[in-house]
Amino acid sequence: MSVTTVTGGASWPAIRPWLGTLVRLGLAAVWLFAGGAKVGDLAGSGRAVNAYQVMPFEVAKVIGAALPFVELTLGVLLVVGLATRVVAAISSALLLVFIAGISSAWARGLSIDCGCFGSGGQLAAGQSPSYGPEIARDVGFLVLAAFLIIWPLTRWSVDRWLEGNDG
Amino acid sequence: MARRADKKSAARVVRAQMAAERRRKRTMWTSIAAVAVLVIAGLIGWGVYESQRSDAGPLVAPASATTTTGETIGSGPVTISLYEDFICPHCRDFEAQTGSTIDGLVGAGKVKVVYNTVAFLDPASTTQYSTRSAAAAACAADGGKFKEYHDALFAQQPAEGSAGLSNDQLISIGTGLGLPNDSFSQCVNSGKFKPWVNSVTDEASSNGVSGTPTVMVNGQVVANPTPDAITAAVNAAG
Repeated sequence: MSVTTVTGGASWPAIRPWLGTLVRLGLAAVWLFAGGAKVGDLAGSGRAVNAYQVMPFEVAKVIGAALPFVELTLGVLLVVGLATRVVAAISSALLLVFIAGISSAWARGLSIDCGCFGSGGQLAAGQSPSYGPEIARDVGFLVLAAFLIIWPLTRWSVDRWLEGNDG
Repeated sequence: MARRADKKSAARVVRAQMAAERRRKRTMWTSIAAVAVLVIAGLIGWGVYESQRSDAGPLVAPASATTTTGETIGSGPVTISLYEDFICPHCRDFEAQTGSTIDGLVGAGKVKVVYNTVAFLDPASTTQYSTRSAAAAACAADGGKFKEYHDALFAQQPAEGSAGLSNDQLISIGTGLGLPNDSFSQCVNSGKFKPWVNSVTDEASSNGVSGTPTVMVNGQVVANPTPDAITAAVNAAG
């Protein structure tokens, strides 16, 4: 499987799998931090979801409790590099939902913290929301996920190890 | 010669097809496994949350409160609903700025005030001070000293990010106000009203309250709750 570049210099096919590893670990770190920040306060996570006012509180509580665990699992799957393309696709779907949620909060004039990395809920009087930077950040994460959807095979991954065993 | 080459290339095509088929199957199964793991993780989260809720103990409300709303002061025709968290600095500022106005409205018989002491900010202390302090205030309510205790907690508010006041400190504030040491300390230490604090917090969330302090006059949120704004809203509602 290993490709030796005769020309020497770092060509794109040689760099790509390693760059992919960095991207994969970067996106993994995002999910692990996001999930880790919320997992200690599941009730708070539910309230952060509820603050978007897009679903009944009973539903928001369940979503809020499940979300940190799903995020942590996405992180772990990305660290080991298993089913990278599907995990990246689910990551981007989730990020699109987050972007939609923040945009709709913005459009409706709500004054909330996105709760992306813990906290969340309504901002105190005098604090202004930072929807623009929050969306820009999520778009950045979306680029990482897109890279992995296009080029899912990266170095140091279970996917690649399985591929190698296939001969 | 030519036939042999044909055979060889045909075999290569078959091998390549079989490899592609194996790869396709492997991708499918790893994908299914990953999705299954994610679904299970979500269900585990839900289960953990539900068990955290049910482990908390029986739901009992303190004096002057209901199982879903906070302690009540006064008996006027207009209802002011306050949503406060004892570790929230803006709530302390609000109390310092507006507390006496509200006390005046209660004294004049114009309003009934519901103090929903919610625990939105448990992660802001290392010891879930929001829940513990609100539960301790409920113990004080059973001893007939809610308002005094409430004011004392805001006067001695711990900083965000700290451990908050210890249970012993919460108890000594209560005994300082004349609450009986035995029953009050037992109530605080046992966390008797923690399930009630959770319940009030949930009710606040389902009413759309997502920050503290929030002030409502007859159910209408007062966006900028200055003393004048609250007085005006009460006069308009009365």
